[in-house]
Amino acid sequence: MDKWTQTAWLIPLFPLTAFLILTALGRSYRRAGVIIGSLGSLGAFAYSLFILVDRLANSPLDYNKSFEWLAIGSYSLRIGFEITNLTSLMLSVVAFISFLVQLYSAGYMKNDERITVFYGYVSLFTFSMLGLVLSDNLLSLYIFWELVGVCSFLLIGFWFTLPKARAAAKKAFIVTRIGDVGLLLAILLLFWYMPEHALDFTTIQSVFDGQSGAITNGITTLIALLIFVGAIGKSGQFPLHVWLPDAMEGPTPISALIHAATMVAAGVFLIARTFDIFQDSAAAMETIAYVGGFTAIFAATVALAQNDLKRILAYSTVSQLGYMMMALGLGSLTGGIFHLITHAFFKALLFLGAGSVIHAVHTQNINEMGGLSSKMRVTTWTFAIGALALSGIPPFSGFWSKDVILAVAWDTNPLLFVIGLATAFITALYMSRLFILVFRGRPSAASAGANESPAVMTLPLIVLAVFAAASGFIETPWNGWFGKWLTDGPEEVHASGVAIVGSVAVGLLGLYIGWLVYGKKRLSLAARQEKKPWFVNMLERGWYIDELYIALFVKPLKLLSSMLLAFDTHVVGGVVRFAGAAVSTAGRTAARLQNGQAQTYGLAAIIGFVIIVVAIVGRRFLP
Amino acid sequence: MYEGVSFVPLTWTDMLYLAPEFLLAAVFIVLVLLDLLLPKRITRQTIGWLTLAGIAASLLLVLLRMLDMNEGGVSSEAIRLLANSYRIDDFASLLKIVFLTGTGLIVLLALGSIRDDEAITDRAEYYYMLLPALIGAMMMTSSGNLVTLYIGLELLSLTSYVLVGMRRKSGLSAEAAFKYVVTGGISSAMILFGMSYLYGITGSVDLGSIAAALPDALVDFKALAYVGFFFMIAGFGIKIAAAPFHAWAPDVYQGAPTPISAFLAVIAKGAALAAVFRIFYSTLLMLQDENAIVSKDIWLALLVLAAAAMLVGATAALRQKNTKRLLALSGVANAGYMLVPIGISLSVVHSSNFSEFIYYLIAYLFMTIGAFAVVSTVSRSSGNEELKSFAGMYYRAPWTAAAMVVFVLSLSGLPVSGGFFGKLFILLGAANAKAYWLVGVIVLSSVISYYFYFGFVRQMFMRSGSEQGEIRVKAETGIVIWACAAATLALGLFPGPVMEWINAIFSLQSDLMINN
Repeated sequence: MDKWTQTAWLIPLFPLTAFLILTALGRSYRRAGVIIGSLGSLGAFAYSLFILVDRLANSPLDYNKSFEWLAIGSYSLRIGFEITNLTSLMLSVVAFISFLVQLYSAGYMKNDERITVFYGYVSLFTFSMLGLVLSDNLLSLYIFWELVGVCSFLLIGFWFTLPKARAAAKKAFIVTRIGDVGLLLAILLLFWYMPEHALDFTTIQSVFDGQSGAITNGITTLIALLIFVGAIGKSGQFPLHVWLPDAMEGPTPISALIHAATMVAAGVFLIARTFDIFQDSAAAMETIAYVGGFTAIFAATVALAQNDLKRILAYSTVSQLGYMMMALGLGSLTGGIFHLITHAFFKALLFLGAGSVIHAVHTQNINEMGGLSSKMRVTTWTFAIGALALSGIPPFSGFWSKDVILAVAWDTNPLLFVIGLATAFITALYMSRLFILVFRGRPSAASAGANESPAVMTLPLIVLAVFAAASGFIETPWNGWFGKWLTDGPEEVHASGVAIVGSVAVGLLGLYIGWLVYGKKRLSLAARQEKKPWFVNMLERGWYIDELYIALFVKPLKLLSSMLLAFDTHVVGGVVRFAGAAVSTAGRTAARLQNGQAQTYGLAAIIGFVIIVVAIVGRRFLP
Repeated sequence: MYEGVSFVPLTWTDMLYLAPEFLLAAVFIVLVLLDLLLPKRITRQTIGWLTLAGIAASLLLVLLRMLDMNEGGVSSEAIRLLANSYRIDDFASLLKIVFLTGTGLIVLLALGSIRDDEAITDRAEYYYMLLPALIGAMMMTSSGNLVTLYIGLELLSLTSYVLVGMRRKSGLSAEAAFKYVVTGGISSAMILFGMSYLYGITGSVDLGSIAAALPDALVDFKALAYVGFFFMIAGFGIKIAAAPFHAWAPDVYQGAPTPISAFLAVIAKGAALAAVFRIFYSTLLMLQDENAIVSKDIWLALLVLAAAAMLVGATAALRQKNTKRLLALSGVANAGYMLVPIGISLSVVHSSNFSEFIYYLIAYLFMTIGAFAVVSTVSRSSGNEELKSFAGMYYRAPWTAAAMVVFVLSLSGLPVSGGFFGKLFILLGAANAKAYWLVGVIVLSSVISYYFYFGFVRQMFMRSGSEQGEIRVKAETGIVIWACAAATLALGLFPGPVMEWINAIFSLQSDLMINN
């Protein structure tokens, strides 16, 4: 065990220090903000890279270190950190993308008045996310889980002067809170049922892995489902996905970092971390698989009809997270995490590319763009690589990770295989639509004056493009190295010719149809007609899920709340006012004693003394 | 002269045991001479720093002695001097460390604030008079008989009277000193009167002998014993400013120089509480059967005092607009909290009273001195001590405002702060002892106190001040503020180690009880 691993707790301190310094400096140090923020995540990245390299080279045992934080009676609460192959990989990915995004933001946010605040928030987020990954127990994970939620809230609402940004931040906070309650309940249940109330992952693993029977099947399923509810909220799975598309009101680098690559993947990470609980409950696994599968195809169809560049990518994120969930539900930890990693690269790339486009044309509506490929070469090429990776075209990374998932589905669940394949088709279709409308065709009015973004923005694009293109080769059907490394080898390697051929075929087909429709305009789809048919409307509105929630929950809740408010002001408020008045009267009486006369003070002391004596001792001497 | 004990002279070894006290005394005398001999043009700040050095050296000696005594494990025997009238045990040493640290911080605070206080004429006295007061407080924690204890108490009280009146050009200060002398006199009289009854029925002033003789004495003189104990409760009640004996505190704290207010709030109060702890536990715990009624009544009286202090302190502070008076009343409520672990006494299920007490005392020390330090800075810059002077402080001195938030959190008992755990331990202790009514009172008074503590926060963050100037913090005061804030946070983040350490070295039998 080398010294890097043993001191891994230092990693989150880099961005935390950056955050504290930035907060202390205040807004005036604009350049310093950029430099300090970026250095914070660069330091964290370098540190985690040492650990990752060590684990790749030596594959040592998991390292766990904790100390007693608090002892209440016989219960002792320990917090600490744990380095496993999974956490070391996540650390590097999070710190890496955070660094690239901060580099990129130096260009993107250049003219923003509050850029130092922005860097402070991003640093705080990076700290929280790294802390979440390093946590060795559910309690500290939960604390960081909430912290990343707060950062997400702050950053979605970063431009709080826009009413839409405010509303989106509020929505994200409330909707994810529903999921968080599930997670909290799961933690409480675990605390209640675990031997010695242990909440650390090592003990959880040994309890559930060993089939010790310490916890009954019903409770296990309940706990697993509640954890999943937490993951649904954070990872934007159906039916709690509604916040994620709205979260695109935040600055685009944030969409790339938090709402595509890292935080939303925390749900997947959480399930991977507590995978032993899920493996004990077939019902929970099935639920995850079907929810994931449904989310994947559902969100992909919605993405097809959106016109806002970032909202398309947001629904695509929801859809891809659905893939990851499906993989986990089918028992493939490798598939889920592998797709998480590749997705982190290519989706961050796509968002940053989108940011570069928006930066240049000042609109987010793809119908107003077009013909950007000649004006923004780097953005076009890198975006194309990201799009191909997302569409699952070999040899780009998305193909390999999607292939793992589809191969597992082919072996275990034909229905989900079909769904996965269909989703892959739709994904390719909407990506070709997006790409053609934005980059090909004749330049529109908005894109006439567009220029390539500065180097500080294109450099991260290029770096990410390299990773989006090449990172898939760590796990291929003929080389299960990544899966072995990640799961220590017990997982079955799935390889299926059908999956490969199928996914390549639907991917190419999707691109081809997209080209026919939007490029050659040879096929006239309903979407291009003047009057839209009902299902296009439905897709544009995201299957009316938001409207449904408003009718089902928001309106009745508002009615209930206005009733409660009336009760509150008149009944509760009355009691509170009375209590307040009573205390304040007592205070006035007590203050009246302070009249400045020492003789009064002496008298008060004597009277008090007599009262106490009579009340306490007097009763002993009464007959 | 009482029988059974012949005069035992001090040996050289004994002198060594008493080194911390002797050192302070020596420094005191040297500084008095120095003040006389030094020419006027030499600034008296030097004397302040020398005072601080003396305190630090004494602290070191106490620490060394305590470490030396605890090498052999928990059961280390107490060192008894002068026929058991002076004891050096972990109870005394821990409290001495608290008092020395507190006084050290207060001297620093005085160094930082004195230049602006025109009303103080005798600048050197201001520092070195703290030394005899400190020796008095240390004697109170170490004394094994009533006479030594009383001498310590008077040493502390008399020097405090002088210190309160130190701002000679201020009428308020003179008035405060006068009031303090009068109420202090009443207190001393009551304590001495109570002590005389105890001596009368047991024939001894030695705490151990009193404990041994008390069961027999109670058979015939139960009423007299009540008189003795209750007069002592009332007398000490005045010293620790527990309601209804607290009325002097706001006036005196307001008139005294701010560092001296902090001294009264922390060291004078702590020493009186320590004396209550020592006297009542030594004499009353051994009572059994019939006699246990007496001890129960006395514990109950202490708890009633505690409850009254918590409620009166919290409610009276609600309408207080002067920061020093407000902190005085907060000190009344805090005296109530600290009386709780003393008053719930020992039982089979609960015996960690001392660690609860001292943990809260330590937390109280840092948050109170810190708050007084901030108050002294703010009132200096705005020229008055009203709560309003904190307005807009977030803009005028953001870091100091942040430190004040830490103190406010701690005072109101919210995490993450030392005050939170201090209060939590006391609350759990009371719950363990099944004193649920007391738990209710603690919670109620905490809730009420949120209102006035957060008055500070409201002013600092939500009001824009009329005066816009930046508040400048003197280096010495800054050190005090940040040391206190750091310690408060540390106590809130890592309560475990401190608690464990206290529990490890402290044993009721050998460190508190006095038996022959």
